[in-house]
Amino acid sequence: MQAQGKNNGATRRVASVKPLQVRGRFFTAIALHLTGRADQAFFDALDEKLLQTPLFFENAPLVLDLEESQGLGGPRDLADLAEALRARRLSVFGVQNGTAEQAEAAIAAGLVVLPPGGGRSVPLERVSRDHSPRDPKQALAAAAAEPLPTTRLITQPVRSGQTIFADRGDLIIIGPVSSGAEIIASGNIHVYGRLRGRALAGVNGDTTARIFCNALDAELLAIAGLYTTSEALAADTPRQFVQVFLEDEKLRVETLK
Amino acid sequence: MSKVIVVTSGKGGVGKTTSSAAISAGLAMRGHKTVVIDFDVGLRNLDMIMGCERRVVFDFINVIQGDAKLKQALIKDRRLENLYVLPTSQTRDKDALTKEGVKKVLDELREDFDYIVCDSPAGIERGAHLAMYYADEAVVVTNPEVSSVRDSDRVLGLLNSKTFLAEKGDGSNVKAQLLLTRFDPARSAKGEMMSVQDVLEILAIPLLGIIPESTTVLKASNEGTPVILDETSGAAKAYMDAVGRLVGEQIEMKVTSGDQRRGFLQRLLGRTA
Repeated sequence: MQAQGKNNGATRRVASVKPLQVRGRFFTAIALHLTGRADQAFFDALDEKLLQTPLFFENAPLVLDLEESQGLGGPRDLADLAEALRARRLSVFGVQNGTAEQAEAAIAAGLVVLPPGGGRSVPLERVSRDHSPRDPKQALAAAAAEPLPTTRLITQPVRSGQTIFADRGDLIIIGPVSSGAEIIASGNIHVYGRLRGRALAGVNGDTTARIFCNALDAELLAIAGLYTTSEALAADTPRQFVQVFLEDEKLRVETLK
Repeated sequence: MSKVIVVTSGKGGVGKTTSSAAISAGLAMRGHKTVVIDFDVGLRNLDMIMGCERRVVFDFINVIQGDAKLKQALIKDRRLENLYVLPTSQTRDKDALTKEGVKKVLDELREDFDYIVCDSPAGIERGAHLAMYYADEAVVVTNPEVSSVRDSDRVLGLLNSKTFLAEKGDGSNVKAQLLLTRFDPARSAKGEMMSVQDVLEILAIPLLGIIPESTTVLKASNEGTPVILDETSGAAKAYMDAVGRLVGEQIEMKVTSGDQRRGFLQRLLGRTA
């Protein structure tokens, strides 16, 4: 108990023994798809979106997806765009799916060029382990011991202010999810109770992820980064025993039959 | 085996101090040796509700900082044999509370008392956190109103994660129960106020009691008497039942009306009792 009170001292002590630690870590980033030049119309649309849910974007790391933005090529274009986004408090840090020319411009603008296709990354320790086993038997044993993408099960109500994150698979909640709570999964989300908070499924880009719940009263629903707020849901949206999924880049809410 | 019970809510003005006073007095009336501690450092309301503000010499912070002995700071209630008050400081702020200090005082109190009731300040900052940190049980005071329910929900999340029992990680948890205060059955029936079912559905914890809105509560507070001692009050009856449930008795849940019905004769004469 004493140690808890002197937490700072303890970490300092540890730090003096071991100056640094390297760990692989998952982070969820928002991808911003550009479909043309970053002109006034683009910024108007962006501002409107930001106005709808200002907190959702605040300080969230952001990646620019340049797949459909051939128009954006000049060496200054990306730097200007990044600056304009940062002025809107969007923490843009990288680009993805750009041309070689765009990648060069991104690096010049101080942005990171991320590998194309999705954003799934693997924890560092697993990468290093994959290289080590020489004996196939040993490798098999190692594979068996290694936890597979796991489901996270929560059997208590998720309260306002809590965040539950299943970074490697599905998230199952038995109990209600209060408004002001946040449940996030790289896979599907199941809520056996009333969902009042925010639910974000497929946060690593899995567009097949779904959200299931007994009763839908969510503040925000998101699948693979596509989101909708409770206000934006149509009044005739089904509310009991529903699933939420992506269809043609749109969130759909349907009653489970 | 002594028990530390925190009375908490998140939101201010819902009746934490009133409930702390009533519950601790109720426990003492049942013969349990009880102490009630004011954790609201800097505001100091509990001693007024308990009617002992003029007897405060040393306080909780003095004890934590070693300036006074616990026995010097404890104030014995004049009405109830088994009831003690540990007042807080008006001149210090919440930074004077430390985890070690609170633990030391609570450990010492555990040797002498059956029940230690911690009256939490509003909010979820240091004072509220330390009030709940060493608790075995929690009474979550909530008004039938959306912001109060939201804040109580937040506090329940903290009770499940930021307390000594939760941090131990052996699956033990602070046992939390709901005390619904300022409830008006008539307004709830008309839909002007959340119903008991609405609140329970959101918070999903056992119901300890329903305290009706009553004019006797304010009157008792002004007089410095825990409302539970006012026999004419419907709120007192409801607190008595809640205390019974708190010590593990099975008592049927009734929604009492706030003020006792006037007698037949008095009604005829049109006079208030």
